[in-house]
Amino acid sequence: MNSFLRKLRWWAQRSHKEAELREEIQFHLEEEAERCQEDGLGEDEARWAAHRELGNLALVEENTRAEWGWARLEQLVRDAGYGLRQVSRNPGFSTVAIATLALGIGGITAMFSVFDTILIRPLPYVDADRLVMIWDDLSGEGRSGHMPAPAEWLEWRRYNTVFTDIAATQPGDATLSGDSEPEQVPARKATANLWSVLGVKPLIGRVFTEEEDEKGALVVVISHGLWQRRYGGSPDVLGRKITVNDSPYEVIGVMPREFYFMPARDIDLWMPASFPAWLRTNFTWHSAQVVARLKPEVTLERGQESMAALSRQVTEKDFRGPHSVVVKPLREEMAGKTQTALIVLLCASSALLLIACVNLANLLMSRSAARGREVAVRAALGAGRGRLVAQFLTESFVLAGLGTVAGLALAMPAMRFLETLVPETMSTGRLTLDWRVLGFSAGVAVVATLTFGLAPALRGSRLAPQDELREGGRGTAGARSHGFQHLLIVIETALAVVLLTSAGLLLQTFQHLRNTDLGIRSEKLLTFETPLLRYQDFDRRVAFVNAQLASIRAIPGVVNAGAISRIPLTVTDQATFYLLAGQSRFSDQVALIRVVTRDYFPTIGARLREGRFFEISDRRTDLPVAIVNESFANRNFPGRSPLGARFKFGQLNEKDYWYTIAGVVKEIRDTGIAEEAKPAVYLLHEQTDQWTMKGAQPGGIVVRTAVEPASIIPAVRQAIWSVDKIQPIWRVQTLEEIVDRQLSTPAQSTTLLTAFAALALLLASLGLYGVLSYAVTQRTHEIGVRMALGATSSDILLSFGKRGLALTLAGLSVGLVLAAMASRLMTALLYGFRPDYIPTGTAVSLILLGVTALACFVPARRASRVDPAIALRNE
Amino acid sequence: MRPDAISRVGLLQGTLDLLILRTLLAGPAHGHAIAKHIQRTSEDLLQVETGSLYPALHRLEAKGWITPSWELSKKGKRARFYRLKPLGRKQLAAEQSKWEAFCRAMALILNPVDQEEP
Repeated sequence: MNSFLRKLRWWAQRSHKEAELREEIQFHLEEEAERCQEDGLGEDEARWAAHRELGNLALVEENTRAEWGWARLEQLVRDAGYGLRQVSRNPGFSTVAIATLALGIGGITAMFSVFDTILIRPLPYVDADRLVMIWDDLSGEGRSGHMPAPAEWLEWRRYNTVFTDIAATQPGDATLSGDSEPEQVPARKATANLWSVLGVKPLIGRVFTEEEDEKGALVVVISHGLWQRRYGGSPDVLGRKITVNDSPYEVIGVMPREFYFMPARDIDLWMPASFPAWLRTNFTWHSAQVVARLKPEVTLERGQESMAALSRQVTEKDFRGPHSVVVKPLREEMAGKTQTALIVLLCASSALLLIACVNLANLLMSRSAARGREVAVRAALGAGRGRLVAQFLTESFVLAGLGTVAGLALAMPAMRFLETLVPETMSTGRLTLDWRVLGFSAGVAVVATLTFGLAPALRGSRLAPQDELREGGRGTAGARSHGFQHLLIVIETALAVVLLTSAGLLLQTFQHLRNTDLGIRSEKLLTFETPLLRYQDFDRRVAFVNAQLASIRAIPGVVNAGAISRIPLTVTDQATFYLLAGQSRFSDQVALIRVVTRDYFPTIGARLREGRFFEISDRRTDLPVAIVNESFANRNFPGRSPLGARFKFGQLNEKDYWYTIAGVVKEIRDTGIAEEAKPAVYLLHEQTDQWTMKGAQPGGIVVRTAVEPASIIPAVRQAIWSVDKIQPIWRVQTLEEIVDRQLSTPAQSTTLLTAFAALALLLASLGLYGVLSYAVTQRTHEIGVRMALGATSSDILLSFGKRGLALTLAGLSVGLVLAAMASRLMTALLYGFRPDYIPTGTAVSLILLGVTALACFVPARRASRVDPAIALRNE
Repeated sequence: MRPDAISRVGLLQGTLDLLILRTLLAGPAHGHAIAKHIQRTSEDLLQVETGSLYPALHRLEAKGWITPSWELSKKGKRARFYRLKPLGRKQLAAEQSKWEAFCRAMALILNPVDQEEP
C-alpha cells in the first residue's frame, strides 16, 4: 500500500521527475567531460568522450524511468497509442476488422442479455431454484405434462416427504364491476400456502389464511398493476369491498410490483382456491397447477422418484389405473420452449464470434507477415520477443476495444427486437445494457482478443531480423504458417456450415408450421371473449348469447358471427373422458370438448369431411347430436364412418345422456399450431342444458368480416353493450394475431439463426478470400518464375482454385457432420416436425461452394494474370 | 590510462547495489562521484557503466534505501546527491555479510587449505 501511494505520488510529479532526470544526467556528462579535459583532451573531444562513455542517452533514461514503477503502464499506453495510429493508418483493414468484431461481439452481447434475463437472473421468489412444478404424467394418453387434479394435490400435500410444502392454483377469470366501468381481469385461484411456498410477502396488507381458504372467504389479493390502475395506488384500498363476478370481495393485500407467477405475468387478482367438496375427491377433474418447494437436502431426482411412487399409490383407485408425475424446475417451466431457442441462439452467436475471431486471426497473420520488416527493425534495435508480443497484443486489444464499442452500438437495437422473446410467463422487463451485460461483453472482448491476437502475435514476433532485412527479402512465412491459416479456414467454414444447416432446418420447420392447415380461414376473423359468469342460468345464457350474436351480425361489414367455449389456438386443454356405445367401461380415452353455437363452423370457414354441421333443426331435445373431428373419427372408427354412432361423457354426466355423431369436421388446430391434433368433440350450446361444466360456456366470439377486422371493434362493443350494458369484453384480437404470436418464437429463432448463418457465410468466404489473396501476393515471384518456365494461366488458376476448393470441401464435410450432431440439440425447436436433412445439406453445400468459388476465383484469377516479366522485375 | 579489457572485471549481477550503498556510507555523493569512487577504490578494476548506474540509483531510491537531495557540488553546480537512509544502512550490513560469506566460500574452494594442516 505504501509503495503504491509512493508510486501514485510519483505519477503526479511525473514531469518534474523527467526534468530532474535530464538535469542529473546532464550534470553527469559535464562532470565526465571535465574529467576528460583534466586527462588532457580538448573541450569538444572531452564532450564526445563523455557521451561515448554514457552510451545511448535515450536508453539510459528509459531504463532509469523503468525503475520508477509505472513503465509497464506507460508502455501499454504507448502501444495503445501506436495501435490507434495503426488503425487510422490502415482504414480498410481496420474497418473490416472492427466490423467483423462488432458483428461477433454485438451478436453475442444481445443474445446474452436476453439469455441472462430469462435463464440466469433470479426469479422474484426466495431460493427460486428450490421451486418445482409437478405435472401428471399421462403418457399413456400421450400427455406427459398434464395438469393435476386438486384431489391429487391434497393427497400429495398430506403424504409427501420431499417438499416443505406444496401449493396449487386454478384458473379463475374475474369481472370487476361496481366502482367503475366493468373490467375483465386475469385472475387466479390459489391455495393459501402459495405465498409461503414462493416466499413472497404482500407490499401492503396480508394474504389469505388457510382458514379463509377452507371456508371460502370472499377476500382477494390484488396486483400492483391493478392497484395503481383502478385504485389509484391508495393504501386505503385495504378493507375495501370490490365487486368480483357480482360478489363483494374484500381487498386484503397488494402484491409488490415485481411479483408475478405462473401461468402469466399479468394476473391481477388472487382469490382463495376454496376447493369444493366434490373436487377434493375427484381424480378426473384436472385443472390445477401445482408448485412445490424442495426440502433443502432433497435433489430434484429424489423428489421426482419419491413423487412418482406416491402418485402411483394415490391414483391406484383411479379407474384409468395408477399414473406417475413429472417434477420440473420452475425456471424451466417458465422459460418453456424459449430455453432451447435461447441455448441454440447463444451457441450460434458464439459460433459467429468464433468465426469472426478466426477470420481476424487470419487477417492479422497475413498482415503481421507483411509487417515483417518493421518487426525486424524493432528486433534489431533491441526489442525483445516479449516486448513485441506485448505490442502486437496491445494493438489487438485496441481493435477489440473499438470492435466492442461498435458491437454494443449494434446490440442495443437488436435487444429491442429480442425483448419479444421473453415468454408470457415471465416478467416484462426491458432488456438493458446493465453492468452484467457490459461485464460480459468486456470479458468476451478479452477472450476474443486472446483468441484472435495471440497466434499472430507469437508468429509475427518470431521472424529472424537478418532474413527479413536482407535487401529484397521475400517475406516467406513458410509452409507451416500456411498450414495453420488453412486450418483456421477449415474451422470457420465448418462453423458456417453448421449454422447454415441449422438455419435451414429451422426454416423448413417454420415453413411447415406456417403452412399448417389450421382448419380455419384465418384472414379477416376477429375474436374476443365475453365472460358469461353472470349468465349461469341456462335459458338466460342461450338467450343472451343469441341476442349478442344477432346484434353483431347486424353491424355493416360483418359477414357472420359465432360463439365457442374456447377461442381456437389459445387454450391448451379442456378435455374429458367419453364412452362409446358398446364399450362397457371408461378407459383412458379423452377428447377435447368445445361448446359452440350453430353459426360457429360457417363463421370460421371450417370444412366438413362427412355428415353435416349443426342445423336449425338441432334444438333442445333428448337426442342431442355432436360433431367430431377427424382424429376422433380415425381413432375410434378406423376405416369406417362414425356417422350415427353414439357416445356419452364420463363422470360429469351422471344421467345417460347420449350424443349421436352427425358430422366429421376436418381438423381444427384448437390447442395450438404446433400441437399435435387431438380427438375433439363439438357440442351445440342449445343442447347442453344437462351440462354442468362451468368453463364450457360459449364466451368466445368469432366474427367474420368483409372489412378490416380492427375497424369494427368499436361497433362490436356497442352492439354487445346494447344487449347488456355492463358486459365486459376482452382479449380482442384477430386470429392472424393469435397465429403470429404462436409463431413468434419459431419465427424469431428462425430469423435470428438465418441472420447469424448468413453473416457466418459472409465472414467465412471473406476469410477464404483474404487468405488466398494474401498467398497470391506473397507468391507473385514464384508464379512469375513458373509462368516464365512455361506454366499457363489456367495451370495457375487451377492450382489456386484447387487449394480453395480443397479447403472448402474439408470445412464442408466437417461442418455437415457437426450439423447432424447440432440438429439433435434443436429437436425441441423443431416442434415434433422432422425436417429433411438431405435437401438442407445439399442446399447448404451448393450455396457454400458457390460463394467460396467466387471467393477463390477472384484471387486465383489475379494470380493467373501475373505477368512474369513484371513479377520478376519486382526483385 | 585505461586498464586493458582483459584486466577489467565485469560487475557481478547484483553487486552494483552493494557497491553504491558502501560508497554512500562515507557520506552523500552524486552519481558521477559514486562511479569514480568505485573505479578509483577498485584500482580501476571495476568500471561502472553509466547505463546501469542511474537505473540502480533510482531503484535504490524507490526501495527507500537512499534518498536524493539537490545540493551544490564542489565546483558550485547543482547536483543530485544521494544519502544513505537507515533502511539502506541495514541492507548494506546484510548484503555485506552475505557477500563476505560468499567470498569466503569461493576462496575456500578455489584455494583449498592443505588438509593435513591443523
